[in-house]
Amino acid sequence: MAQYRTQVRIIADVLSTARDQNTEGNGVGVTTLLRRGNMSYGRMSKLLSELVGSGLLLELSGEKISKYMISQKGIQFLVAYSSFEEFAQSFGLRL
Amino acid sequence: MATQSDMALIQNILQFIGVFVSFSIAYVSYRGVKQTESSSLLRLATAFVFLGFGFLVEGMVGLGQLVPSLPLSTTTIVIGGLLLETTGYFFLAFSHAVDVMLAKRLGAALLVFPVITLSGAQIQDILGILSFYFVLYGVVETGYSYARTRKPDTLLIALGLSLIGVGTFFQWLSLLYQYVGVLSLLQIILQEMGLLILFTPVLRFTVGGVKVNGPI
Repeated sequence: MAQYRTQVRIIADVLSTARDQNTEGNGVGVTTLLRRGNMSYGRMSKLLSELVGSGLLLELSGEKISKYMISQKGIQFLVAYSSFEEFAQSFGLRL
Repeated sequence: MATQSDMALIQNILQFIGVFVSFSIAYVSYRGVKQTESSSLLRLATAFVFLGFGFLVEGMVGLGQLVPSLPLSTTTIVIGGLLLETTGYFFLAFSHAVDVMLAKRLGAALLVFPVITLSGAQIQDILGILSFYFVLYGVVETGYSYARTRKPDTLLIALGLSLIGVGTFFQWLSLLYQYVGVLSLLQIILQEMGLLILFTPVLRFTVGGVKVNGPI
């Protein structure tokens, strides 16, 4: 059965991708985030500007394209998210 | 052999343990709501706030029986406590399946309908039965969730809810049979055991060292 992702789940997915795919330390491109985040470009752009605005992501502006890196606040968010997700799952619920 | 007042004292102590456990779960859920804006956690927090206040009211009624100068032991207050408890079980059961709008509508019906049309004893019967079915639904849903996730914690919560369910069944039986004292004590012991099991995910936040500073 298909399950809709909540907004907070989408944010967690994007932040996880920005953390896990940043192997070289110079950020992750929009294409990678789009592929892993499974959403449209327009929606992703809006979300990325919100996440940068709230300090969860850092924008690294290059000559042609911007890359994104998870911030310390974003890492804290993922820790909180995974804790509360586990808490909710214990009660048979999902965030 | 324990006297009637000894048993009443034990029942009260157990009710206040229930208050502590319920409000602890509600607090962790509320922190989760603040940080993740999850509607599931909001319903969970709501359920345990109602349960906590329900246990608190019932405990206070019991305290009124022990200390006669406190004018707390009235049928209305008992029904109020049971109503809070049943509403808590309602939110707990339906947090698995229904959206917030539907939950609010049914919750309102639950609050208004029996009070208008039924006598005090009948209201207590109905609230006991409703609590039992809500908990039973919660057990089924949590069991189903365990079948999907295979998380041991989820199985533990299903076990806790089962004990609460058996407890509410005894509460119902105590309304029908003469061994009221024994059945009531058994009901509260089972209910508290169930609640203490539900407390285990909270322990991870307090003992497990998960530290999240403020809203993110």
